[in-house]
Amino acid sequence: MLEIKNLVTSFGSVIALNGISMTANESVITTVIGANGAGKSTLLRTISGLEKPSAGSISWKGQSLLGKRPEEIVRMGVAHVPEGHAVISALSVEENIAMGALFRRRKYKSDIAAATDEMFTLFPRLLERRKQLAGTLSGGERQMLAISRALVARPSLLLLDEPSLGLAPLVVEQIIDSINTLSRTTGLTVLLVEQNANTALNVADHGVLLALGKVVADRPAHELKADANLRAAYLGY
Amino acid sequence: MDTLLAALFTGTSRGAIYALVAMGLVLVWRGAGIVNFAQMGQAMFSTYIASTLIMNGYSYWIGFVVAIIAGALLGVLLDLLVMRPLANKKQTELLSSASMRAAVPVIASLGILGVLQALAGIFWAAEERGFPAPVGQTGFTVAGQVMPFTSFDLFVVSVVALTLLMTVLFFKKTGVGLAMRASALDQEVAKLSGIRTNGVRALSWAISGAASSLAGLLLTPSSNLSPYTLDLALIIGFTAAVVGGLDSLPGSVLGGFILGFIISFVNYYMSPEDIFLAILAVLIFVLIVRPRGIFGGKDVRRV
Repeated sequence: MLEIKNLVTSFGSVIALNGISMTANESVITTVIGANGAGKSTLLRTISGLEKPSAGSISWKGQSLLGKRPEEIVRMGVAHVPEGHAVISALSVEENIAMGALFRRRKYKSDIAAATDEMFTLFPRLLERRKQLAGTLSGGERQMLAISRALVARPSLLLLDEPSLGLAPLVVEQIIDSINTLSRTTGLTVLLVEQNANTALNVADHGVLLALGKVVADRPAHELKADANLRAAYLGY
Repeated sequence: MDTLLAALFTGTSRGAIYALVAMGLVLVWRGAGIVNFAQMGQAMFSTYIASTLIMNGYSYWIGFVVAIIAGALLGVLLDLLVMRPLANKKQTELLSSASMRAAVPVIASLGILGVLQALAGIFWAAEERGFPAPVGQTGFTVAGQVMPFTSFDLFVVSVVALTLLMTVLFFKKTGVGLAMRASALDQEVAKLSGIRTNGVRALSWAISGAASSLAGLLLTPSSNLSPYTLDLALIIGFTAAVVGGLDSLPGSVLGGFILGFIISFVNYYMSPEDIFLAILAVLIFVLIVRPRGIFGGKDVRRV
């Protein structure tokens, strides 16, 4: 289980996370929704070690992630796909995927080829473009590549930040479906941050609604989806 | 004709060395975002170590290998003792602005250069001394004529070619090479991929230090060794890196050879006194006409 208690992260005098407490159960998708500036991305960035919290605690499967560097947190099974299709444009598709598995190459050498093949099965379009530079891919393909880069690390927890950003609805559906299937078949735990609340709540088991760095609601996804008041007040639809 | 041949041969062997110097600069620029003005100071220091060993009766090759290892270690040491603490200080007031964050390590590298030159003066006295070449420095004879290409030139070109080939293979074919390229291009994505970027940065300093030590070993037989002999090589190497594109390794190699030929032609067809002026003219010309260099990326690097 992912356990977050009283997490506070600030940038100078701006408090982005103001005492967040939440949990995410293993092997299901939990979504964090909320308006722009609610602190969703900061939450993921704090979990993966990119931002240092000033207070609170984070633990995954009982192990504290606090004070650890991002590169060590990945090695503990927590992979983060940051906002904005984070791939390295000047590297090829293959190299981007290989990069995600680099740290496993001594211990699990034989598994890396298998993991890479799985990515190409999950996103066949990447296979066609394996030799191309990532910078030449479409937005959707880049998002698929960013997710693949995270998944070849064989994480137990995937932090996914706004995979729908700037993508066509059909592509978003395809990506979300893939993640959903993956979670259900392999038991991958997913923490999905989305501004597109509808899409996210459709696949998630549980939903956490953030506003101004605080948790406003923490309920099963279908309940959150059905609550017209919350939707009107915090999501604007 | 003889002059042309001489200019071409000298240009090739000199260019090879400048390619090494430029490559060392590009490695640290890409790996750490720092223009390392101390680089040839490090090379000078490790060449003195080789010189001391050789003067004390050890073979040239022991001096050669020890100098390259010392160059790598010195590079790592500078990263660990100076550059990493500086990079970790980014939150403090001194380094709160982006331009200061970029400038302070460069100024620190100038300080390191001064310290290394002073230390070399203290340890080895500041007077010039010769430095041996492992093979002869008289020209090959072809059809009774002495060519302006010596065994040592051949040695230089072969060693540099081998080094460049190994560097290319290292970056293209190995996991560590991929980790280094990834970290140079995007620190955050590299970290999120589990790459230990601190270690990778130290490795950039090490390879850069080893390459520039090699350049020092190859340059000093034809000049002399003093705490300041390699200063000009830094300026040439820096110009070569700018000509090729500061963030491109192939560019740095090409730039090195371009500078080698320019200098050699100026030397033979004009006068040795004009060399420094020619280098500065090339530097300013490239900065005005094509500031990103021949192979430089379009993106302005985040520093």
